[in-house]
Order: sequence, then C-alpha cells, then structure tokens
Amino acid sequence: METYDVIVIGAGFGGPVAAKKCADAGLKTLMVERSGIPGEKVISGLVIPIYGFLFGPAFIRNGNPPIERPICSVVNRIVKGGKIAFTDHSLKVPAPVVLGYSAYCKPFCTWLADRAVESGAILRTSTTVTDLIVEGGSVRGVITETGEALRSRIVIDSGGTQNMLSIKAGIRKKFVPEAIELYMIWDFEMPKADVDRVFGTSMEFFHAMPEEKIGAPLGYGSTLYFFTYRDSIHPGLGQFLITEGKVPNVQKLLRDYFSNFTATVTRWKQDIAPHAKLRGVMWDVCPIYAGLLPETREMPIYSDGFLIVGDAAGFEAAAFGDGVPNAWFSADIAADTAIEALAAGDTSRSFLARYEEKIKADPFIIHTISDGRRWNMREILKSRDENEFRRKVRDHWGIGAFRYGNMGGPCLRAARRAVAEDGKSISSWLNMFRRYYANWEQNRFDRLSTD
Amino acid sequence: MVRTSSEFPGIEWVEGTGDFIRIDGEKCTGCADCVRVCLAGCFAVEEKKAKITSLERCMECGACWYVCTGDAVSFSWPRGGTGFRTRWG
Repeated sequence: METYDVIVIGAGFGGPVAAKKCADAGLKTLMVERSGIPGEKVISGLVIPIYGFLFGPAFIRNGNPPIERPICSVVNRIVKGGKIAFTDHSLKVPAPVVLGYSAYCKPFCTWLADRAVESGAILRTSTTVTDLIVEGGSVRGVITETGEALRSRIVIDSGGTQNMLSIKAGIRKKFVPEAIELYMIWDFEMPKADVDRVFGTSMEFFHAMPEEKIGAPLGYGSTLYFFTYRDSIHPGLGQFLITEGKVPNVQKLLRDYFSNFTATVTRWKQDIAPHAKLRGVMWDVCPIYAGLLPETREMPIYSDGFLIVGDAAGFEAAAFGDGVPNAWFSADIAADTAIEALAAGDTSRSFLARYEEKIKADPFIIHTISDGRRWNMREILKSRDENEFRRKVRDHWGIGAFRYGNMGGPCLRAARRAVAEDGKSISSWLNMFRRYYANWEQNRFDRLSTD
Repeated sequence: MVRTSSEFPGIEWVEGTGDFIRIDGEKCTGCADCVRVCLAGCFAVEEKKAKITSLERCMECGACWYVCTGDAVSFSWPRGGTGFRTRWG
C-alpha cells in the first residue's frame, strides 16, 4: 500500500500552503479535497487583511493571485431613519498601499492549490475524508468515503470550520453555538465603472441601532457590510446562533433585515440598486468568537501524528472577521513542524508540541482570535449610547484595529522578524503593492488550471 | 444531475450526497432550533419531533448541528464532488 509522508485534508486557504511547503521540502504530499474544484465550497465576504500578505507565505506575496479589488479604505456609516446620520471615513491609506485585497474564494483557492501541485503535491478532488486512521493512539492516515485507506506518516487537517474528524477521533469538541455566527451573503453584478464611482477602493459598512432593523440585532454591531469586488459587490450580514441565551429565528431575521435595508436606506436605493443585479445568494457559519472563549481557545490543536490548522483549529480572527491570514500562518507553521518531525523520525505528540509553541509565539494568531472589541459592540448597542456608538463604530471590523495601535505591536514584531530573516523583505513588500495594483488595473493574473 | 434554485441563484447542487445530516428521534426534544437556523428550510417539526423534509438546498453549514444541544442532529460531509458548489463564494 502506498504511504505518503504527509496527507493534507482540504484545499481551501490553508491546505495548499501546507502542502506546497511540504512538497518543496521533498516530502511525498497528498491533498484530499471534498469538492470538485478547490474553493467552490468556500463561502465568504472576503477582504483578506494586508498583514496576511505581508507576513504570510512568500509565494503568495511574490505571485499573481486573482484578486478582485485593492481595498484602501473603510467607510463606516450609521443609519438612522433610512438616512446616513454619521459617516466615519478616517481609515484610509494611499494606493497602491492597501488595507487588504478582496477576492472570490474559488479562483483564489484554485490558485493556491495550483502552486502546491506545481511544487509536486498531489491533489485529489471529489474525495471526502470520513475518518482518521488511528493506530496505537497515533494518526497514521485517513479513510475516505469509499472506505479506502490512505496512509501517511503525518496528517495536517485543514478541513475548515465543521471539523468533525478531530471530534470523531476524540481530539476536539464541536464549537459552541455562542461562538458562531451564521452569515448570509448576496452577490450582485455591478459594472466596474459604477463600483469605481460609488465605492472606489473602499469597502462600506452600514450600522444602526436595533430598531432600524438593517442588521441582525446583536449580530456584530447590527451591521450590514458591502465588500467591493472588480465588477460586483458582495453584501452580507450575520447573526449569532445564540443571542441572550436563545436560538433566534435566524432564517427569518437575516432575510427581513436585508429586505428592510434595501427598502429604506437611500444610499442603497439611489446609488447602488440602479446599477446592481442579483447573481448569488448563499450562507455559511463562521466560528468567529471561538478564540474569545477559553474552552474553545484551549482545545488541542495537535495530537500524535496530527496537526490542525486554520478554521479547523478555531483560528478565525475575531478582530478581523477573517480567517485567511491565520490559515496561512498556521499552515506554514504546521508544514515546518511536519518537515522537522519527519526529518527527526519522530511524529509523537511530545515532538509536535513545538507546533503549539510556535502558534503561541506567532505575532498574530492568538492576538487576533482573542480580540473582543467587535464583540463589545453589542454592549454599546444595549446601552444605546449614540456618542459611544459613533466613537467606536470603527472597531467593529478589525482593519479598524490598525488605527488604535492594537495591531501595531504585532505588525512591528512581525516586520522586525521578517527583516532579520530576509534583508529584502521591505523591497518585496513594496514590489507586492505595486505589482498587485498593476495586476488589478490590467485585470491580468496567473492563469488557473481550471481556465 | 445538477439542480438549481430560483430562491438561491448562483448555487448549484450536485446530486448523490447521501444522508449526510440525520436526526435521532430518541434524542430530539422538538425544540425546533434546527428549523430556526436553517436558511434552506431543510427541517420541520411534526408531532414534537424534528424531521428532515429535504436536503436538496442544504449549503452544508452545519448550523443545525451546532445548535442541537441534545446531540440529536448528526452531521458529516456529503460524498466527494456532490452537494452545493458556487463560483460566487
């Protein structure tokens, strides 16, 4: 029976990063993905924060992945009686510098998986992993839905949020509903010239007190957000699965609030709707606050022969509402750990403990998953303090964190480390900003294997 | 076979998923939390027990599984290459 050095479960945002690094190190690496094409089951309103690109894997920074729009500013609006009562547009940087890049998941994940395959990793799609092979307490491979056993010396689980494999193996428990938000996403086509004119390189958030009914009450700050793409917009809103101790009627709330927003808010009716045509409606859960709760933050992220990365490990960043940078960072660390373990011939839990040590030493992961400021927006809504609401509205989405110096420390530490490791880091960052912006202007990215 | 839904444009469902969500009638308390969180309308409560009416529009989010405190709902992935897919996620 064929034995791989490393099996990576999932080819979303984290899996290919781990697989590429392992393959580059000469390890026989298999990626197993349940969908037919990587990323076609990944749902997100996605602006990947810039710190992921700056401090994440070099091949992303030095490559030409398919981005939708450079996001240079965040516009936070407070709605009252259907009108914009307050706008905060204090968070902006000059292009080609950005706060993040928006992206559709399918082409981006395909681009990542293509890089892993280029490095020699094997990608097996349309294959669902149903179980781990556990021998003598140690993970030694995976079992697929057909009962096929795929053996490996180490397994990296980047299977995403609904991570039942490690639960079945008794390593982790499922996330508690208090930590999870169900978010609904709409995708509208909109001519690029109109997105340029109405939004430019901004993303836009609409907030309101609960009685305005434009964002789910005690969602994260009663907010409806607009992610802006090349020639489309991607609004969405979320609701906790538990609010005030009860499961709200989420299926009704999310639809009602979006309908109410489109029926009442003039910014939508006058500036956006005349140019927008509905193309997609979708949803997913996001364990956005798993990192705030000690019982989920402290669940194991490794076991004998087994490393868990990204959303599967609960690394969704509460600060940013985004799990991509942490998926990249943790996948990179998991690959390093796997390479060291296989070189040492020791994949035991005690050896793999260095994975957790490195995760804890990472400047961003623990910091971003345990940032509670967005969560605290709920208290402001409950207090009904409008001045406080205006003052803190920037906090609700974590890129606002850069303003407060909150992310300054981690960024500085990461920058120092990057420059110490590679003297050319600064020029590679500047090159990335310029190249990504030029790629976007020319709408020219790497060709995908699926094109 | 691939299905679409006028209510949820931009999504395709590839058939052949198998019963990837199940309800244990013994454990179900009939609280209807699964009904409240399912945007696809996959669940109904009849005679104080939840039942799956159809998984045809399921987006595999697992919200039903997360909110079921009595562990009556079990969740796994559909068969490889089946279930929902989208270009617009």
